[in-house]
Amino acid sequence: MAAALEISRRGFIGGAAALTFAIGSGGLVGIAKADSTGFGPNIWLRIAGDGAVTIVFPMTEMGQGSSTALPLILAEELDADWDKVRIEQLDEDDRAYGNRLFGGLLYTAGSSAVMGYFDTLRKAGAQARLALMQIAAEHWSEPVKSLSTEPGVVVHAASGRRMGYGEIALLAPETMTVPEIADEDLKPRSAYRLIGKAVPRRDVPAKSTGSEQFAIDVRLPEMLYAAVLRSPVEGETPEAIDEAETLAVPGVVRTVALPDGVAVVAERLEAAFTGRDLLSATWSETSPARAFDSEADLAAYAEAAADPNRDAAVWSAKGDASTAIAAADRTLEREYLSDYAYHAQIEPMAVTAAVDADGKGAEVWAATQTQSLTMHTVTTVLDTTPDRVRLHMLTMGGSFGRRTALMQEYVRDALLASKATGRPVKVVWTREDDVRFGAFRPAAAQRLRAGLTAGGKLAGWHHRVATPSVIAYFNPIRWGQVEPNDIISMRGAENKFYDIADLTAEHVITEARARLAPWRAIGASYTAFAAEAFIDELAVEAGADPIEFRLGLLQHNPRGRRLLEKVAEMAGWERARSDTALGVAFAGYGDTMAAGIAEITLDRDSGMIAVPRFWAAVDAGLIVAPDNALAQVEGGIVYGVSSALKERITIRNGEVEQSNYYDYEILRANEAPEIAVHLETVDAPPTGIGEAGTPMVPAAIANAFHALTGRRLRHMPFTAERVQAALA
Amino acid sequence: MAHFIVNGQRTAHDAAPETPLLWVLREHLGLTGTKFGCGAGMCGACTVHVDGVATFSCLTPVGDVDGLAVTTIEGLSPDGAHPLQRAWIAEQVPQCGYCQSGQIMRAAALLAENPAPSRAEILDTMSANLCRCGTYNRIVAAVQRAAKEA
Repeated sequence: MAAALEISRRGFIGGAAALTFAIGSGGLVGIAKADSTGFGPNIWLRIAGDGAVTIVFPMTEMGQGSSTALPLILAEELDADWDKVRIEQLDEDDRAYGNRLFGGLLYTAGSSAVMGYFDTLRKAGAQARLALMQIAAEHWSEPVKSLSTEPGVVVHAASGRRMGYGEIALLAPETMTVPEIADEDLKPRSAYRLIGKAVPRRDVPAKSTGSEQFAIDVRLPEMLYAAVLRSPVEGETPEAIDEAETLAVPGVVRTVALPDGVAVVAERLEAAFTGRDLLSATWSETSPARAFDSEADLAAYAEAAADPNRDAAVWSAKGDASTAIAAADRTLEREYLSDYAYHAQIEPMAVTAAVDADGKGAEVWAATQTQSLTMHTVTTVLDTTPDRVRLHMLTMGGSFGRRTALMQEYVRDALLASKATGRPVKVVWTREDDVRFGAFRPAAAQRLRAGLTAGGKLAGWHHRVATPSVIAYFNPIRWGQVEPNDIISMRGAENKFYDIADLTAEHVITEARARLAPWRAIGASYTAFAAEAFIDELAVEAGADPIEFRLGLLQHNPRGRRLLEKVAEMAGWERARSDTALGVAFAGYGDTMAAGIAEITLDRDSGMIAVPRFWAAVDAGLIVAPDNALAQVEGGIVYGVSSALKERITIRNGEVEQSNYYDYEILRANEAPEIAVHLETVDAPPTGIGEAGTPMVPAAIANAFHALTGRRLRHMPFTAERVQAALA
Repeated sequence: MAHFIVNGQRTAHDAAPETPLLWVLREHLGLTGTKFGCGAGMCGACTVHVDGVATFSCLTPVGDVDGLAVTTIEGLSPDGAHPLQRAWIAEQVPQCGYCQSGQIMRAAALLAENPAPSRAEILDTMSANLCRCGTYNRIVAAVQRAAKEA
């Protein structure tokens, strides 16, 4: 127990109360909040006189389920009655609630929710519980130690007295002291009744009745609609527009010039789209992006990867890979390629803004992965301060990294259109807008080199990734802090689960030749493809079973070994198949490990691969919400199969060639594998689940393809043409 | 003014007849449970029933439904407790949830026509609707559960 801390009481009238805690080094910062909504033991919660507990959700919800999982963690330590818990979206850029894994930004990414907030929320809950017990103890004149809690109730067992949390909130004294919460004050895992149990997600009922509010659903009195005509090539500006036909469309109000396009603002959405279709613009023709060509650019990346004289930033290094490889009995070197990929979230970008009359403030309804950077966008565009901005963070219709940038042009456009018209404006992108003006997972060329000893053991590992820096593109401020280490471009290449004594992973930072963004599983979505396909090639070269070869690299990692053994058992790895084949991969995300086995079939005439079944075993440490964790892994696997088989953005003359789901196809229900997932139960800290399902998938499929055909697929996605070329 | 029946109620509107039904439902009438995904009949987020038939409202001019009965997710059941909606909750289907109104409307039309569909029939029908979160297997489980419990 550390320093005693003081709570003071102000304006406590009836159910309207506000207490203030100041908390020391336990991760909770003292913030005085005086309002009429109840007893606020710390910034994370309020307890009303009727016993309702309101818990702040500091992230945003895109489907990952942390809007349930995070409040659940606090409720566990508070010993709250879960049925009385209300969840409140944090609608401010208040860094007191920041994500410690993103330097205190409000930022929902990197599978970081539970990992980033687990300790803070447990301590916040435990502290609030202790405060309630202290108030009850004083009221009953009993020692705190003689009290205990049941869900929502403080109990004095010796006398049988009980008091609900709401009643206690009404009794809060003028001042009181509570100790800081230490780790040993927290519940043992064996006492959990919410964490790790089958508690349903809170957002599922509204998402099953059509009543969940997404950004695109906002409707306001006097609201106008805007559609934006954008330069087909990044970096161009409209030099002249012909708007006569647009302005003749009934309902079109006006056009608004934007830095890289023109907004058509109308009384009705259909008028905005019709007006936009009739607008013609003359664009500048000076942008270097006009030379972007995905095929030539990937070839240039491949040259860079192959050129040993090309500078590279070391991403991870152990021992001496070059010497180990040079001394090996045999060496293997392979190139793996991957194309641009698009997020394809089903909700296109949509934002509503109502700019104040003086142009220096606004109310904004948005759905992004970050309160902080949406606020940054608003204050930058309006040249104002955060106190003039009222944010509403709504549910995202999927995101997968799409809504993370420092400057969010969809937010900007709504602000500029509202400012110009003096009315609220909802900007709605079409699917074509969302594809053509999307920001993509970068294309990458990777070269892997490794040695094998005479006995078939791995000796030295060199992984060279030629791809742009995603961070430099989508968040230049962040790049200034981390250059040249780009976790978004490189994650996974560190290959830390295997025991490889001599390893170098390096990043040849190539020029960005497209709009770029993080994409589910970031770098691991392609670095794990290359690394795990290469491991499979090494195993074959060594004459070893692919699982045995990997187990040999996991002597020091019993949790990893367990996953491989488990997934082999689930899939029946040893059982011979006739028309199908299995492929294995061992990857994961961050500290979360995942072993996966794909079963594939192949139509040799068409070159179409199908993945009827996928098995996975995952170790993500402590699991807060087991059913949702399974759902995330299932979804991550589907995402991985989709990207491995189908997904490819191409760029010619600076223009994205795809425009909708008919030319950027994603996996459909009848193409999805049946999936079995095993989640390990381990006594270890939580390590994140949202992206862990994806990285293992492409290599598992490529390795199954080799098992079936004896041929290798080294360029993702594995389109029919590439499959046919591999079979030729 | 033109009219059609929305969730059992005769509803007038002044949209031009070529206006997609989707915009009339969402932006004129405020029935935002039906979603916009692609505008091309490729994703199914906009699926509603027109005289009981699952229909892409993004491709349907509102003039084509004059006098017809349109059912949206808001009108599928009076209390949000259609067997499919209960099954969607029991199976914890939604992740982001954006496509799920369309999925449920597609599944409801299927069950109305075929109360005990096979797994293959479910997959075949539900393949008209995309889910980027990858909830397909739970959708199948929920449709099977609803078929059993209906």
